[in-house]
Amino acid sequence: MNVDIVCVGFGPAMGGFLTTLSKQLLKEDGTPAVESVAAPGMPPQVICYERADDLGFGVSGVVTPARGIKASFPQLDPTQIPMAAPVKQERVAYLLDPIGASRRSLTLRSADALIRTCRWALPYEYQAVNLPWVPPFLRKHDGLVLSMGQFMQWVGAQVMSSGTVQVWPSTPVASPLLEGDRVVGVRLIDQGTDKQGAPADGFMPGMDIRAALTVVGDGPVGTIGRQLDEHFGLPEGNHQHDWAIGMKFVIDLPPGADLEPGTVFHTFGYPEPEIFGFMYVHPGRIASLGIFVPSWFDNPVRTAYRYLQHWMMHPYLWRYLEGATLRSWGAKTLQESGRRGEPHLAGNGYVRIGEGSGSTNVLTGSGVDEAWATGTQLAEGVLELLKSGRAFTKENLEQAYVRRRRTSWVEHEGRVAERARDGFQRGVVTGLIGMGLTGLTGGRINLRGRSMPPYRRLPTVERYYEGRIPPAEIAKLRVECAKKGASLSGALMDQAGWPAIPFDGKLLVSHQDALLMGGKVQAPAGYADHVIFLHPAVCQQCDVRICIDACSGQAITPGPEGVPAFDREKCVYCGACLWNCSKPSPTNPERSVVDFRAGAGGLHSAEN
Amino acid sequence: MPIPYQIVVCGSVVPDPLQTLEPITTPAGPALKNELMLPAVLDPWAGHALFEAANLAKQHPGSKVWLVSVGPKAKLQQVMMTVAQKVPFELIALDGPASGFAESAEIAAALAGAIQAIPGLDQSRLFVFGGWESASRGAGTTMQMVGELLGITDQFQGVDQLTVRPDGSFQALERVEGGKHQVSACSALPALLGWATGNLPEPPNNPQVGMLNMRTVMPALQRAKPVKVANDGVAFASVSLPKQRRATKIVKDLSPDAIAQEIVEWIGKE
Amino acid sequence: METILFLAHTETDGSLGKSALEALNAAKSLAAVLPGSNLISGLVGGDVQTAANQIAGCASARFLGVVGPDFASSRYSTDIVAVEALARAAAATIVIAPGTARWNRVLAGAAQRLGGRIDTHATGTTAADDQPGITRWYYRQRMEAVVQRTRRPWFILLDPGCGEPWTGAAGQVQVELVSPALTDANRRTTVTGLRAPSADQQTIRPDARLLFVAGAGWTKTQPDGKPHPKEAEQLILGFLAQSKASLGSTKSLVDLSGEGQAVLKFMTHLNQVGQTGSTPRHPKGLSTCCHGEEPHTVGWRFINERRAVNLNPNCSWAQGKADVLYVADAFAVMRKVNALLAEKA
Repeated sequence: MNVDIVCVGFGPAMGGFLTTLSKQLLKEDGTPAVESVAAPGMPPQVICYERADDLGFGVSGVVTPARGIKASFPQLDPTQIPMAAPVKQERVAYLLDPIGASRRSLTLRSADALIRTCRWALPYEYQAVNLPWVPPFLRKHDGLVLSMGQFMQWVGAQVMSSGTVQVWPSTPVASPLLEGDRVVGVRLIDQGTDKQGAPADGFMPGMDIRAALTVVGDGPVGTIGRQLDEHFGLPEGNHQHDWAIGMKFVIDLPPGADLEPGTVFHTFGYPEPEIFGFMYVHPGRIASLGIFVPSWFDNPVRTAYRYLQHWMMHPYLWRYLEGATLRSWGAKTLQESGRRGEPHLAGNGYVRIGEGSGSTNVLTGSGVDEAWATGTQLAEGVLELLKSGRAFTKENLEQAYVRRRRTSWVEHEGRVAERARDGFQRGVVTGLIGMGLTGLTGGRINLRGRSMPPYRRLPTVERYYEGRIPPAEIAKLRVECAKKGASLSGALMDQAGWPAIPFDGKLLVSHQDALLMGGKVQAPAGYADHVIFLHPAVCQQCDVRICIDACSGQAITPGPEGVPAFDREKCVYCGACLWNCSKPSPTNPERSVVDFRAGAGGLHSAEN
Repeated sequence: MPIPYQIVVCGSVVPDPLQTLEPITTPAGPALKNELMLPAVLDPWAGHALFEAANLAKQHPGSKVWLVSVGPKAKLQQVMMTVAQKVPFELIALDGPASGFAESAEIAAALAGAIQAIPGLDQSRLFVFGGWESASRGAGTTMQMVGELLGITDQFQGVDQLTVRPDGSFQALERVEGGKHQVSACSALPALLGWATGNLPEPPNNPQVGMLNMRTVMPALQRAKPVKVANDGVAFASVSLPKQRRATKIVKDLSPDAIAQEIVEWIGKE
Repeated sequence: METILFLAHTETDGSLGKSALEALNAAKSLAAVLPGSNLISGLVGGDVQTAANQIAGCASARFLGVVGPDFASSRYSTDIVAVEALARAAAATIVIAPGTARWNRVLAGAAQRLGGRIDTHATGTTAADDQPGITRWYYRQRMEAVVQRTRRPWFILLDPGCGEPWTGAAGQVQVELVSPALTDANRRTTVTGLRAPSADQQTIRPDARLLFVAGAGWTKTQPDGKPHPKEAEQLILGFLAQSKASLGSTKSLVDLSGEGQAVLKFMTHLNQVGQTGSTPRHPKGLSTCCHGEEPHTVGWRFINERRAVNLNPNCSWAQGKADVLYVADAFAVMRKVNALLAEKA
């Protein structure tokens, strides 16, 4: 099938692109502003394919400065978007460890002791210290609290009602179509296959969609973006070593929870010092809340779900959350290399936008607005090329799109931010100081730290728990867990002193309940498994198998002969397995031995 | 020579079956909390009807499928982006409620009116399809009323299989009690079939079908007529979620054999 | 003041089925509590005398009947004529009927024809302030409503198994026959028979005392890292054969089976409970390898005693939906259950 522009992934970047583009494809009299090459006489045929089962499934809740979004919708009325609220107040809190199970350095323990001693003189409450002042680089004033799911549904309705753009959900894109170094479109996923991808009942091979321009906005773990990176490599000096998993709940706050819509909390320090937390209050007594577990949290059995529960139960948050009810749950990978993870932004026949194109600002922790802005910049460039009849060559796209991006606030602020988190490579305290220095000096002073792929950072389990759990005990737990087919992380956390979660069936629910009641995960039959263990021999030798513990949906479990098993029905497409893996690919040391391909299904909640 | 059928499928949108639903009371009657935020899908049984219709049309060249749908325009648009990739059809959209609390007789009248307005309908080639029940109202009443309003008195509900014959007759298998099917033969059209699941798998997404359908879907949505449902003469004294929670006894420490013993004893008790 | 028509069709043997007697009980009860109301019985079948005699003691003011070979079978085009004629002859304001497949097919059309309204899948009747009402569920048994209507005639189909059947003395009654006119147009459809799986393959048994629900866990990887669909099939079928339970399943499992994968081939969409499946009524239910999330548990809404076997103690079954949750491997438990049942036999 031939179209003019084929787009991959309907996230905020594509929202910005299609919003801007769709407004200018027709003249006021309804005739084409520019003519399609694929369908002469018509306006350009623009098709966007989204992997998830519907628009807005599987994207996350945010607080955003919304500069780029407001530029696209100058008359934006947040009340028209479900769950949207203007930011009213922001709080940043350092959480102490009320349990004593957290793995804190001597420096942190000393700081905690000092805080407790001097708490009468500090803005101390509920085992936490509120920062008396929110650094400007973290502030989101004048911004919006959004459910990205609801926002993207709203955007989707806007762009589709223009009649010039089609957005097709539940249509995963398998690969780019490459002719030499030219991208000529995409190939959709095969349907009607068995789990191994072999043709089965109702087989329909993935259709080729040929287009003059392929717009890739498939996010940090998007399969098309990664395949292009494999083919073209990253620009000299860039890397994608830093990642985080964001796991979140959307909840109904309990009656009486006195929190104004637009209230924003950010926390650090607990449940582990490396883990950051957030809570955003939406209208209607709804809140999004969750944690980020970064790749430089050197726990080789790191898991997010249980930490999320302990975080929620911290007294600072629990005072608001006790009695709350789970509405939705989800998880997502964040590309934390930011500007330094930038791939080649344009080539012959293709462009990159959004988070996967390195637009996230790792100092301000802002990604949606930047992604949106890159989309609008591309749309302006594309319209310029269409109207002047110039082809989508690398050179023209560099001139029309990349130049716009380079001269924009996205690039300027991304440059300031790009070394902001280097200090975290050396430890949490160094990282926090480094971030502060970068933010307060506008990027002129940064602390150094050598970024490494996650697999090179990870210590052994024994090393991580040194001084807390004896190796013999760990060995015993390994055997017991293997016998039960259970993951090791829970057993180790129990042993390290983390209390059992008092399940209440409402907010404190089992991981599987969160998956099914909150995430409502689905996996339609007829598609191949999308998580592949590329080198079984490597997995067999692996004694860490972090993929199992780090899997957000418990979709990866111990499998036969030591190779993990994958259950598509539990996968939420967070992509954590891809970058958490502790073993480098034998063919590309920048990649792991897990492949994360195009697949169907996943989260069925649009509230995230 | 195969008959070119005209197949009109009635089907609306319902909340994605996986969502947690909660009723609220509004001045207009009961509704779902956050109804507009809930992801929607084509009503599952209506979906089967649509796929069966498309399959029948495919076997009989010259046949045509319409999908007549009452629902909030924005939700219909959203759901069409998934459905329109599946099979070819022409959409006739009516902008109205898709609520389970909307009166079926009034929805039926709107559907029948829209069907009667389709130009060139030929009763001798006409099948009217729909789901045998919706996943919202769950009543299984709308289609029969549509049939009555269209004067169709050969009606079948809970259909799992339709076999058409070259002479215009057909055989239908309807679900009846006890996991059985009633087999009926009908000598001529028009006929109305409320489908259960049928036997077809969900068709794969076909981008070309999607492109083709969109030529009629977006214009149909733009000209969707508003449908007002007054729920005349209905009063909902209450709508509530089941509150009863059981005191679940969790048995963790029994061996499988002991559990089996307990289960067998429990099964055997009157 | 309501004229309540109890509307029923005969079974193949000419009698009234249990669900019809349940509807009669409900109609009679409603007539008793609504002041000035009277009860009329309307029967449809090849011959209705046996049925009428069966309920002679129900205090029906009149017994109306539509009879003849055309009305012996379940067919929309003739049933609607019969129902219309009976409702008109009775001047019914409320029609209460059992929610059988036959009446579910036709009564909505009859309500439309008579300018009335209909509620189906009612689970009971109410009478508050002398106003009749019904209880019924919406959104696949997710929420229960009490509905009242001012429009008449009001057709109410009661779901089988929701109430006690009427019991009373049989006798000899005089049936007033109503003879609606039929034309050839009413006879274009011919009912040619019933198709059912052979008795040993029939896994849906509405009258069974136990509903056995098999969840998708049966097809999943087991602790040895491999799935065991063959053994799962043997255990489930073995249990059904010995216990005479009815088999229900979840959507994911019947979908898998429908697509020819090597799992539980005996499952069909007819087995599906909850979500887009059925919500059967049985005195007991045993769930195995089910997670118990809401779309599935609605399939259990009308099971009285519920037990579950699941490996996950924190599964939402533990949160107030089952009476007993056994934390165990269903394969091991069901192996032993089958062995014990075999010993008992």
